[in-house]
Amino acid sequence: MHRLGGVGLAAFDRQRESQRSFAELSTELSKTQIDHLHVQLTQFRSALTHFASNHRDSIRRDPTFRHAFQQMCSSIGVDPLAGPRRGGWWAEMLGMGDWQYELGVQIVDVCVSTRERNGGVIELGELVRMVSKLRGVENGVVTEEDVVRSIKTLQPLGAGYEVIDVGNGKKMVRSVVKELDEDQATVLAEAQMEGGRVVEETLVTRAGWTRERARAALENMLLRDGLCWLDAQDEQHGKAYWVPSAMRWDE
Amino acid sequence: MGTTDGHAGFRLPSIHAAHAFFTEQPNPTTQSVFTDNWTRLILSYARHRRLFVIRVEDAEVAGGDWDEILRNERINRRVLPSYLNSLISAMVSRNLAYYEPPKQTRSVILLWRLPEEWADVLHSWGTATGQLNTILTLYEITDPPVPSPLSGIPLSLLRRTITILTRSGRAQLIGVADGEGVRLLTGGK
Repeated sequence: MHRLGGVGLAAFDRQRESQRSFAELSTELSKTQIDHLHVQLTQFRSALTHFASNHRDSIRRDPTFRHAFQQMCSSIGVDPLAGPRRGGWWAEMLGMGDWQYELGVQIVDVCVSTRERNGGVIELGELVRMVSKLRGVENGVVTEEDVVRSIKTLQPLGAGYEVIDVGNGKKMVRSVVKELDEDQATVLAEAQMEGGRVVEETLVTRAGWTRERARAALENMLLRDGLCWLDAQDEQHGKAYWVPSAMRWDE
Repeated sequence: MGTTDGHAGFRLPSIHAAHAFFTEQPNPTTQSVFTDNWTRLILSYARHRRLFVIRVEDAEVAGGDWDEILRNERINRRVLPSYLNSLISAMVSRNLAYYEPPKQTRSVILLWRLPEEWADVLHSWGTATGQLNTILTLYEITDPPVPSPLSGIPLSLLRRTITILTRSGRAQLIGVADGEGVRLLTGGK
């Protein structure tokens, strides 16, 4: 049997010795690798800094360049706005975050000021036009892509800003929280079956809700969202809710 | 739900067949839509039937002029007096009605024509019937032997109308033996 390090007591010493040297070598190797990575990272960082300082203005001003830059970022898996710090290192370096947030504020401005007229839903092209007008820039300086990206940065605010694809290549931006929650969807489905009428009882018996849940869902739709009407003369229950969008109208 | 033909061809709007239309809404946005619809309905019905007055009482007892509007027997709904009261006050605040007699809030004169429009109607009627420059008693205007567009106009509304004409030099208010009279003048606006 071949024994590493030979036979006898001395073999133990020799084995210990070689283990130590392997460990030393490994430490040295990792250290070299880390040093090497550090150098690379420093180089990368300085290249980025260089890129950022060189192209910062172009990125902010030129939509074509900005588009190319965004594509480059996404192809190498870097989100220019992401990062551990606020806005991210990348974003800070480029001033990209500020630009995007600024655009976000203007989007909110346009959406809120037109809400009365459009009920909180605006066509994307229209929004781009109005934001451009607000910024005092010509059409084409701010692109739809920019606006969509800015809207994504608004998402953590929870204000319900969302881009909806309505088909035919048309996109709309919704600025009110009109998304129906699951309970509201249930109420609507029940209303649809009853020609628009819903009472607490229906939801309790058919949907298996508690009375409190039924009442809360209906009262929210009535008072908060204005999605249904109150009928205080209901023959059976005294109080019924009518969902106009589920009612049958001849006109 | 559809429109129904009511009194002498009056077409009720389809919302009149909605159960909830007869309940005052707790959501202010919804209520303002309902108020607009009720206001339009009340005024157009009043115009159609030449009704000048609506009272909270009309919602309290059946059998009055307003049953067709304030009730919908088909769906067994009616406007409750308290709701009518608040609709009336909304109309007063929009200058589409005024309390008559004053200092109460249960009865109004409906302005399906504004006093300015009534002024034109009165003056045209006077011109068309050759009664310019003659003295007319108010009674001759409210209850003329030949029915006119002003037949049945309440005195308080007629007075407002005449006031507008006098301001533009198209009428003169004159005291006559048994009360007031008016002389319509050619004068332009």
